[in-house]
Amino acid sequence: MSVAVMKTKAELSFAEHFDQVHEQLPGSPAVKLARKTAADRFAELGLPHRRIEEWKYTDLRASVKDALPVRVGDATPMTIADVIVALGPLAKLDTYRMVLVNGAYRKELSSPDQLAGLELEDLASVLASGNENTAGLTGLTARDDDAVLALNTAYMTDGAVARVEAGAQLEKPLLIAHVRAGREPGFTAQRNVIDVGPKSSVQIIEAFVSLPGAASEGQSNAATQITVGDEAKVVHVKCTADTGEGITHLSNWMIRLGRESDYSGFQLTQGVSLARNQIFAAFDGEDAKLDLSGVFLARGREHIDTTLVVDHAVPACESRELFKGVLDDQSRGVFQGKIIVQQIAQKTDGKQMSQGLLLSPDAEFDSKPELEIFADDVACGHGATCTELDKDLMFYCGSRGIPANIARGLLIESFVGEAVEKVKYQPTAEAIMEFARGWLAKN
Amino acid sequence: MLEIKNLHVKIAEEDKPILRGIDLTIPKGEVHAIMGPNGSGKSTLAYILAGRDDYEVTEGDIRWNGESLLEMEPDERAAAGVFLAFQYPMEIPGVAGLTFLRTAVNALRRKRGQEELTTPEFMKLVKEKSVALSIDIEMLKRPVNVGFSGGEKKRSEILQMALLEPTLCVLDETDSGLDIDALRIVSEGVNALRSPERAMLVITHYQRLLNHIVPDKVHVLANGRIQRSGGKELALELEKSGYAEFGEKAA
Repeated sequence: MSVAVMKTKAELSFAEHFDQVHEQLPGSPAVKLARKTAADRFAELGLPHRRIEEWKYTDLRASVKDALPVRVGDATPMTIADVIVALGPLAKLDTYRMVLVNGAYRKELSSPDQLAGLELEDLASVLASGNENTAGLTGLTARDDDAVLALNTAYMTDGAVARVEAGAQLEKPLLIAHVRAGREPGFTAQRNVIDVGPKSSVQIIEAFVSLPGAASEGQSNAATQITVGDEAKVVHVKCTADTGEGITHLSNWMIRLGRESDYSGFQLTQGVSLARNQIFAAFDGEDAKLDLSGVFLARGREHIDTTLVVDHAVPACESRELFKGVLDDQSRGVFQGKIIVQQIAQKTDGKQMSQGLLLSPDAEFDSKPELEIFADDVACGHGATCTELDKDLMFYCGSRGIPANIARGLLIESFVGEAVEKVKYQPTAEAIMEFARGWLAKN
Repeated sequence: MLEIKNLHVKIAEEDKPILRGIDLTIPKGEVHAIMGPNGSGKSTLAYILAGRDDYEVTEGDIRWNGESLLEMEPDERAAAGVFLAFQYPMEIPGVAGLTFLRTAVNALRRKRGQEELTTPEFMKLVKEKSVALSIDIEMLKRPVNVGFSGGEKKRSEILQMALLEPTLCVLDETDSGLDIDALRIVSEGVNALRSPERAMLVITHYQRLLNHIVPDKVHVLANGRIQRSGGKELALELEKSGYAEFGEKAA
C-alpha cells in the first residue's frame, strides 16, 4: 500500500537539514547507519497528527510550522556564572553537574572531578568511539513507530552516558543541565543513556533552562533511556522551565525496572509553547515500584501534553501516577495514561490520578486514563478531575484576612505542592516549588 | 458593638429564606451565646458575619463599631476585627500551617497599619500561643488541618484566633466533636481572649460549652428568628426543656 501524503514545510525541512548536517553529526559508521535509518523512518512517518490515536490532542503536524536550524558542535560563549543564572533555583543544590549548551557538552562548565560510583561520559565521544556501548544507542527498534524518537536518533548530538556502579550510593545528585543560549534560534537533540547498577542509589536531574537574552524561539527533542538494576533506587527529575515565547519541547523517557527496584520520576513543565512529554516504563522484574508524577503550568496559548505508558509485564509490581496541571487563559493541558497489566502480571497494584486546575473559562484539560487489564487478581484504579479554585477554601483564607490574590497563590501552590511532595529529596522539591512560584508570580 | 438589625438572609441561588429578621446587639466586652435546634440558621448567621458569598442578605444590616460589614469582602471584615472559628475547619493540603498563619498575620498587620512580623518575632509569638493551647509546634509544620483530629482542628482554630487578635469573635459549634479535656483546653483559650475590647458570639447546640465559657446573655434562635433572650440561666432551662416550645421537632 502506498499513499502519497503531502509533506509539511517542517517535515521537509527536518529531512533537508539531515542531508545538510549528517556528515557533521558524531558517530561511528554503525551510528551513521542508525541515524540514516531513523531519518528515513521519520520521512516515512512524518510528524504525528491528530488522526493517530495517541496524538489526538496534540497535533504536531499542525503546530510545528517549521524546523529550526540544527545545532551541531555549538560553541556559544558561556561562563559558569551564566550557567548558575540559567539554572535558577536548581543552582542552589549541591549537585554533580554535566552542562550542555545548545545541545553540546561543555566540559569547562561541568563539574571537574569524578563522582565516586559514577562513570560518566558525553554521548558525542561515545558515539564517535565505535565502542560497543553504541549498540545500546541504536537498538531502539521496539518503538520504531515513534516519529519523535526517530527524529532524536537521527539528530542526537550529545548527552550523558552514565553508569552507576553496583551497590554505589551516589553522594550528590547528577544534574544534566541543558542550557539554551544565544540569539540564534535552533533545534537540539539530546540523548541520555543511564544504566543504574543493582543495589545502587542515585538521583538524576535533567534541566531544560535558558539564559536570559536567548532567542525567544527554540526546539528541543530529548530522550533518556534508563535501566534500573535489581534492588536499585532512583529519583529522576526533569525540570523544563524555559522563558521563551516559541519553545517546543519534545521528550521521551524510556524506563526499564529490575526486580525490587524503586524508581520515582517527576517532571515539571512550564514556560514552553508546546510540549509533549512521553514516558514509557516497563517492569522486567517482580516486586518493583514505579512512581511517576508531574506538574505542568501553562498560560496564553501554551499546550502541554504528558503521555505515559506503563507496562506491567511481570507479577507483583506497583505503579503510581499523579499529574497536576494549572491552566490559565486559553492554554491546554493533556494527560494520557495507559496502564497495561499483562495476563501474567497478577498482584499488580496500580493507581493513577490526573488533575487539572482551570484558572480561566477558556482553558482546557483533556485527560485520558486507559487501563488495559488482562490479569484477574489485581488492584488498579484511576481518577481524573478538572476543577476551578475551591470557593470554600478561598473563603476560609479570606476569613483569616488573606486577600484574594494571595489566597489564590497559596491555593495554587498547595495544589501543585501535592505532586511536588512526591519528590522525596527535599532540596530538589524546594527548587521545583521555587520554579513554580516564579511562574505564578507572573500571573 | 455588634448591631444586627432586621437581618433577612436566603441562600444565594434559592428563594428559601433562612434568617427572617434577626435583631441582636452585642456590646464590646460581652459574650453572647446563641442556642437553637439544628437547621435554625445558627451557622448561616456565623457565615454571614464572616462574609461567605453563598448567602444573600435581602433585608437589614450588620454593623460592627458603626460600620456596615455587608459590602466588605471576607478579608476586609477580618481586617475590621471579625473572626469566625469554623464548625468544620478546612484542610488545605500542601500549605504548611506556619506559612498559612504567617501569611494571615502579616496580611492583617499590613491592613491594620502595623509593621509585619519578622520570622523570629512570628515564631516567638506562635510558640507562646501554642503552648497555652497544648499545640505541638511540629503539628504546624504540616499542611493546614490535614490529618488533624477533630480536637486538633478546633484548637488550631483558637490558635488562629489568638494570633489574629480579632475584636469580634464568632465561634460556630466549637464544642462539637470535642472530648472533655479538649473542651477545657479550647474554653480556656477562648476565655483568655475575653477582654473589655472584644465582643464574642458563641454558637452552640448544647449547654455544656457554656459551663466553660460563661455567657453574659443567651439567645434562642429558631425558625430564623431570635425567639427568646435571657441570662446564662436560660441555657440551663433549655437543657431541661429542649427546643420543643420553639415550634421545632425534637432532633
